[in-house]
Amino acid sequence: MLSQFSYQRAASIKEAAEAASRPDVRILAGGTDLLGCLRNQVLQANRLVSLNGLSALKGIRQGPGGGLRLGALTTLTEIAEHRQILDSYSVLAQAAASVGSPQLRNQGTLGGNLCQRPRCWYFRGDFKCRRKGGDTCFAEGGDSQLHCIFGGASCYMVHPSDTAPALVALDAKVSITGRRGTRLVPLSSFFVLPADSLVKETVLQPGEIVTEILLDPPQPGARSAYRKVRERGAFDFALAGAAIVVAMAEGKVRTARVVLSGVAPVPWRSTDAEKTIIGKPLDAAVAVAAAAAAVKGASPLADNGYKVPLVRGILEETLTALAA
Amino acid sequence: MRKSIRERESRTGLSRRRFFNSVASGAAEAAILTVPGAVAAEAAVGQAADGNMVKTVLDINGRSHSLSVEPRWTLLYVLRDRLGLMGTKASCERGECGACTVLIDGAARYACMTLAVEATGAEITTVEGLMRGEELGPVQQAFVEEDAFQCGHCTSGQVVSVEALLRKTPQPSIEQIREGVSGNVCRCGAYANIFRAVQKAAELRKGGR
Amino acid sequence: MPETTAKPWGETKFVGKPIPRVDGYERVSGTAEYPSDVVLPNMLHAAILRCPHGQAQVKRVDLAKAREMPGVRAVLSDADKEAQIPWYAPPGSPGSTGSPTASRLFDPHCRFEGEEIAAVAAETPQQAWDAVRAIRAEYNVLPSVVDMEEALKPGAPAVQESGNRWGAPRETKRGDVAQGFAEADVVLEETYRTSCEIHTPSEIHGSVVRWDGDHLTVWDTNQGPFGIQAPLAAAMSLPLSKVRVISHYMGGGFGSKLNLGKYTVIAAVLARKTGRPVRLFLTREESFRAVGNRPAHIMKLKAGVKKDGTLTALQLTGLGEVGAYPAGTSVGYQVGDLYRCPNVLISESQAFINAGPNRAFRAPGFPQCSWALEQMMDALAEKIGMDPVEFRIKNYSAVCQMQQNKPYTSAGLRECLTEGARAFNWKDARLRSKGSGPWVRGVGVAAGMWGSQSGPPSTVRVSLYPDGSASLNMGAADLGTGTKTVMALVVAEELGVPLDRIQIENADTGTTEFTRPSGGSKTVFADSPAVRSAALEVKARVLEMAAAQLKLPVTDLAFQEGAIVAQGGTRKLAVRELTQLRAQQVVVGVGVRGPDPVDKVVRPFVAQFAEVEVNIRTGETRVLRLVAAHDSGRVMDLLTYRSQVIGGLTMGIGFALTERRIMDAVTGKMANANCHDYKIPTAKDVPADKTVIPIDLHDTECNTTGTKGIGEPATIPTAAAIANAFYHATGIRITAAPITPANVLTLLEERRKRG
Repeated sequence: MLSQFSYQRAASIKEAAEAASRPDVRILAGGTDLLGCLRNQVLQANRLVSLNGLSALKGIRQGPGGGLRLGALTTLTEIAEHRQILDSYSVLAQAAASVGSPQLRNQGTLGGNLCQRPRCWYFRGDFKCRRKGGDTCFAEGGDSQLHCIFGGASCYMVHPSDTAPALVALDAKVSITGRRGTRLVPLSSFFVLPADSLVKETVLQPGEIVTEILLDPPQPGARSAYRKVRERGAFDFALAGAAIVVAMAEGKVRTARVVLSGVAPVPWRSTDAEKTIIGKPLDAAVAVAAAAAAVKGASPLADNGYKVPLVRGILEETLTALAA
Repeated sequence: MRKSIRERESRTGLSRRRFFNSVASGAAEAAILTVPGAVAAEAAVGQAADGNMVKTVLDINGRSHSLSVEPRWTLLYVLRDRLGLMGTKASCERGECGACTVLIDGAARYACMTLAVEATGAEITTVEGLMRGEELGPVQQAFVEEDAFQCGHCTSGQVVSVEALLRKTPQPSIEQIREGVSGNVCRCGAYANIFRAVQKAAELRKGGR
Repeated sequence: MPETTAKPWGETKFVGKPIPRVDGYERVSGTAEYPSDVVLPNMLHAAILRCPHGQAQVKRVDLAKAREMPGVRAVLSDADKEAQIPWYAPPGSPGSTGSPTASRLFDPHCRFEGEEIAAVAAETPQQAWDAVRAIRAEYNVLPSVVDMEEALKPGAPAVQESGNRWGAPRETKRGDVAQGFAEADVVLEETYRTSCEIHTPSEIHGSVVRWDGDHLTVWDTNQGPFGIQAPLAAAMSLPLSKVRVISHYMGGGFGSKLNLGKYTVIAAVLARKTGRPVRLFLTREESFRAVGNRPAHIMKLKAGVKKDGTLTALQLTGLGEVGAYPAGTSVGYQVGDLYRCPNVLISESQAFINAGPNRAFRAPGFPQCSWALEQMMDALAEKIGMDPVEFRIKNYSAVCQMQQNKPYTSAGLRECLTEGARAFNWKDARLRSKGSGPWVRGVGVAAGMWGSQSGPPSTVRVSLYPDGSASLNMGAADLGTGTKTVMALVVAEELGVPLDRIQIENADTGTTEFTRPSGGSKTVFADSPAVRSAALEVKARVLEMAAAQLKLPVTDLAFQEGAIVAQGGTRKLAVRELTQLRAQQVVVGVGVRGPDPVDKVVRPFVAQFAEVEVNIRTGETRVLRLVAAHDSGRVMDLLTYRSQVIGGLTMGIGFALTERRIMDAVTGKMANANCHDYKIPTAKDVPADKTVIPIDLHDTECNTTGTKGIGEPATIPTAAAIANAFYHATGIRITAAPITPANVLTLLEERRKRG
């Protein structure tokens, strides 16, 4: 049951940013993540500031030179069904289509998907973990089957977003507005590791709001895909996944981005895997080598060792499929 | 005018939202914008522990309801406990099961994850709104004929999701059907019958029922 | 006297046809009123404070702040005299559940996360929860144990003071297993594990209660109101005549709604305290912890077989988790009964852990047993080079070995296996290429039986009105299985009254007569003969009236399709023309369930077939198709029969692939108490291709409708069939459920490392 809060429908981004700079205020977009957190007392709020009156944050617009500008309030359904995204940024369309359920995609927004809180069952449950001001990461001594194999320290959450790895793979930028103005951050620098913060998952400062996601024009010869492995077909986050964007030239990989989901507290870019494929033809042998490179340095916990072969399997399969 | 538009919609199956956008978008925008202002003003006034009520207007199944709500009241709570529309069911109340699925501007959404204040200005349709008077709508009729339920508690949500699916995709493939109802868990496990009911409903709709 | 004894039906006009439900309209239109939809004037809303620790002693509960919260009308805790209601009663006390220690409604010793501490009634649900959150409770947190094997180790935290083992191991013995293993050509031994499964019905547990003076009326979501009425009357110290329980509709139970819940009693006490009706429905999170589960099991199974396929010995050593209070589920039955085997030893133990007690869950113990036994049967068949279907056909038992080799009233397992195999195209499917990867496919079979319970008692009334319409009055609830429809079909069959002219009153202790709640697949089995008997009595009374009116001997008359026909069909009298019926306006037949057969045993049988594909790179498993062949006796309504089987298959997929409770060992708390982390299958996890094959052997001895029960058999062997198909696809025996990508990849990695 939700506790009391007051409600404010922001009339402008500036007003929303002003209001949201207070620690007891939360920004409401689609609500699918926030209301769950409030219901289970994971978060508290005295006031919700709704962005839903701000049409400037809605919809998909053409960017300079053939790119796209995705308003933060664009729903995941709109992303998944947008003709140009399906054609030119299929990794993103596939990632958006893999989120939750049709209803959650109709309601959930792209901005919200990037800013959602961890799905760790200890964080969401009635456990006072480090990320909620406690002194324990319950995954360390508890059940860690869904936790991270990369980037963990003091907290072993995985980042739950499917669209984030896709956007990192597309080298997207995120436009952030706060009281002091607007800044543009590459999505690859948007998320923070537990080593940098145990209370937040992004670089957003109090009062800052994600307003837009910017996609560069698609590279010539680009191919992309998102592959997600989960326990059931809907209502599920990735056990592991991979967002891959490659640009081919003369039968060889010219540029590549390989970003993993479900394995680290942030979308996990594997530059080792990228290096393995760049300059080579995309074939089965290269896929196997890249997959092996991607899991180097993985440090599984007690229950999630399976994620190492899983990542390998996903990359072998997806890179091979992209070659076809 | 609103009434005539709605009557036309039920005859043609045309999305009223689309109709609005193409014909009367200016008026619709204005209608939407006036309410948020009132909401914000209300909210700014009172923060009392027990009060904090906000005046709102909800458009549900073609009727306009004016009521005061607490900002924390979900659309689900208002539908059931304040307006007596018990067809929409409460189950997980965390957006994880689909029992509370309603149409908001034609799209299937979870009423448990939607604040009532946020639904202001939108066109809301519940399972009751899919009836044709006392007669079952085509999706409901197909569910009965194919026995696409057991206990029936998740069924309202299933029916609403199928309605949304068929409005968008009148002749769905089996994979589109699966995807379309994947946000509605049926613990009795009637899925195979639900798939058949969707196909039957598509036929019934095509036949003008 | 006209004939009132039921003869076996010949050809039927209504029964057995695919007939849409009589309450379909209500269920799809949103007009069906479930208990959670009941709104009473002046009703309050209640909420419960629950223990947040795996095990704790409550030191202090400070209700002062909660009492002052807006809208609060009553608070209740162990400090209140009216809350001193015994619960989990020890042996010898009334309503004993065999609990080693006595407990009460708000017991200060909380043995699992989610035990009740206090409750609040307020004007709105939000206010009730605000107040619950304002209660300050202090706990002495005690060590907890949530793993059954850990619980039995020396020095483990005590769940129950008398020890964590519940009772002595129960043994069932036949012949001499040592000798049986010595005679075998092949002996295999394996340990199988199943996970704890939560019922998660769509409608969550709860009640709305109202007092009228000292009469208590309860709208409760349950599987039969008479199962709630008696314990509730006992808890409230009321006679049965003053407790009325109503459950016209209910949103699923699967065994978890056979019991009286603390919530009902708490609501009743709060309602009495406030003088207002009270609604108390749990949240989904609460329901995961406090209202039952299918316990996890560890089953060590050893089996011996001769080269010719003769079983020589079966030995099962089972350990099950009870939860914090006695409940318990036995898994051994099928090991002792399904297959012919002269030497059997079953030994079962159960351990207390700091978790919610289990409750009956769709065929308690049987899917667990199938997971072990049916995988073992496959492994044995492979070792001796026999087809798994042939191996089962060779070994199924035609008599009930667990009851002194009594014959069955009917036994269609052979037909289930042969007809199922034919529909599945078993032989070809086994030979088809498995694929070169990463997706590989395979097929599997599993058989099963359900240990039906007894039929009586059940009392039903059928009334016929002068206009030819009828009413059916029965105590049974309709869980969504189609009970109302099936029973109305019986009335229609006997009296020729069409379904839309039969009014049904059911599941209300104030207006209907006793039957046990719907569990154990007993409803059609127990109640449809009583309905038939009541209808036959109506028929007899009508014929007597007609005989008097027509001045003909009763033996010359027949009642056909709602009219009285004389011998030769010469004279006809419509029901509305019966002067005596017009004079008295109604004729009532009362039917009771006759005794079960004494010398024979009633059992439903099943064989299911699965095809799966497994991605050997990612560990994903998909069920591609299922065939379910069932001998459950007569099919009453082909539509609802199929639906029950399809539902059972879906539940079996969950048991096999996705469902498991996760307990945090450090805190003793449940980690996945929500519908996201506890994964029920969705539409994307089940095949559209599900074939249901009814095997109807025309059982004339099980009861007067020839029915044996379908709800539970439908889910018994599903997971095992999937596991066998998984093995066929991958060559890997997955002994621990569920078959998640994590478990699959771990096994694939082990195999890879072995080389």
